[in-house]
Amino acid sequence: MTAPLLHYRAWQGEFRRPICSVWPIARVALCVLLRRKLFWVLYSFAMLLFLMFFFGYYLFAWAESRPELAKIQIGKANPSQQQVQEFFRKTRGILNGGQDTFSVFFSYQGAMVIVTLALAGSTLVGGDFASRGLPFYLAKPISRWHYIGGKCLAVAVVVMLMTTVPALGLYGQHAFDDWEYAVNPDYFLDYGLSRSPAGLPLLLGVLGHGCIFAVVLSLLLVATASWMRRTIPLIMVWMSLFFFLRLVARLLVEGLKYDVRWRLLDLWNDMCLVGQWCLSIDHEGIRPLPQPEYWEAGVALAGVCIACLIYLSRRTRAVEVVR
Amino acid sequence: MFIQLDHISHWYGKHQALRDVSLELESGRIGLLGPNGAGKSTLMKILLGLLPPSSGTGQVLGRDLLHAGIELRRLIGYMPEADALVSGLRGADYVALAGELYGMPRKQALRRAHEVLTYLDLGEARYRRLEEYSTGMKQRLKLAQALVHDPPALLLDEPTSGMDPAGREAMLDLLVRLGQDHGKAMLLSTHLLGDIERVCDAVVILHEGRVLCHGPVHELCRRRQNRYRLLVQEANEAFLDELRLEGVQVLNDNGRGELRVAVPPGWTTRAFFVLADHHSLVVRGLQVDDEDLEELFHRMVTENGTSANRPA
Repeated sequence: MTAPLLHYRAWQGEFRRPICSVWPIARVALCVLLRRKLFWVLYSFAMLLFLMFFFGYYLFAWAESRPELAKIQIGKANPSQQQVQEFFRKTRGILNGGQDTFSVFFSYQGAMVIVTLALAGSTLVGGDFASRGLPFYLAKPISRWHYIGGKCLAVAVVVMLMTTVPALGLYGQHAFDDWEYAVNPDYFLDYGLSRSPAGLPLLLGVLGHGCIFAVVLSLLLVATASWMRRTIPLIMVWMSLFFFLRLVARLLVEGLKYDVRWRLLDLWNDMCLVGQWCLSIDHEGIRPLPQPEYWEAGVALAGVCIACLIYLSRRTRAVEVVR
Repeated sequence: MFIQLDHISHWYGKHQALRDVSLELESGRIGLLGPNGAGKSTLMKILLGLLPPSSGTGQVLGRDLLHAGIELRRLIGYMPEADALVSGLRGADYVALAGELYGMPRKQALRRAHEVLTYLDLGEARYRRLEEYSTGMKQRLKLAQALVHDPPALLLDEPTSGMDPAGREAMLDLLVRLGQDHGKAMLLSTHLLGDIERVCDAVVILHEGRVLCHGPVHELCRRRQNRYRLLVQEANEAFLDELRLEGVQVLNDNGRGELRVAVPPGWTTRAFFVLADHHSLVVRGLQVDDEDLEELFHRMVTENGTSANRPA
């Protein structure tokens, strides 16, 4: 070590409140994640889905207006012209910017989010526990809840970037096409298209659906990543939560005809149910049937979130800042 | 007042880690010594406001230990023993993040991170990823993140751990400079007594959760006025025997004429010269053999162990 190039200088300034540390924690976690190529690959796939929704509406509208396209033959199947036209019409109906559009969009994007988070969990959170980075945070003038809040915020930003932000893009697309869509809550009813709300109620529904995903998935990821730490075990846990439990729930309810509440084991279904409630979708119209009540799904998700918070509180309390 | 502790005790279940610790330490460079399990880590946790004491009260830099946890950690720069690095970050980002966590605005934290890294001679390595840092550089980086917000006090946990001799010297120089030139109060916990002798002007010795002694190093070590280091040209057995007859204990003879002796009460240094003259020897040197820190530490721990084992 040579002679210092700069003399030590005192610093004088105002310190901010501990709550202001939440964003730097989130920002640094996001920066580390955004440097990974794998994240951008997965994000590109998610954006492909968005582009399909974005341009799909125009594509099917165009296809509907071209009768010669209805004569297409798909493999050995030879659908009638009417069947093809019906398919175009129905699909365009799903993509028309109503509640179903966003419900299906969140469902598809959510699948990409699950995959991305399973792979990103160790980078966002697990690394702090695996490489003893956590004492660095906890030795600072913040509480463990600021740390947990920062990490959850980072995950929530990823979830929002992949679901809510593109969904708002879709909303903006339809509002740009017809401004009445954005200002008239009865837009779809007035045009006899569907019973879906539009305007502000729909916008709030989209934001609510996104928030449900962001809150539940961020808490779940931070809790499981602090438990598992490494990528492979984390993927296995997420497979169990979102694939195995889904199969079990289906088997119990649809195969063995158990009580419908057993479907609450399926966390993914619970999140979609609460999201659909935000979008004001009729409970009877949800597939597959039967489904638990919206409030039951909400209680199940609240229980999961509380369990995650309790676990995180204990997990971070057990960290030795001074050894 | 840097640290003021009043009858602090702490229990982990049935195990008592700290026993009625009372301390008053003025601002300065203070070493914290103690064998494993002495309670050093528990004391540091309490000083950082991470752990409330089971009983007792105290203040660090005038802030109450029980109620000012977050405020305390803002006034203290803590350098942990473990790496505690955030993987994937670059040096400058890491130190700037520390600054932001201490509550500094982002731009100021970044500017200050560059300043501190340059001061600690890590200017050229500031854009390297943390995984690429050597052990010595990591130690300096940990010091940088503790200094970034210019705290009045530093808590340093094994700051020279794993460093090569040159790096260690440089780190100790730096700590002395921070204390002397920039008025940083520091509490240095280490197993390396040499580090404390080199840096600290006061020491606290902990053993089994109790404070055995505390105070300025030179005062604690000067309690042995009956010991001398005697340099005699060609010391022979007859001379040594006569010393023993006079009641002098020869504690150490390195065979090259250097003796460490303990003299009886009433002994005058002139007697060494008289005895040497009787044996036609030349006394080349005579000095009071002050106890060094290592001897002080071992004596304190041994005496405490003996008294603890003594039946009531």
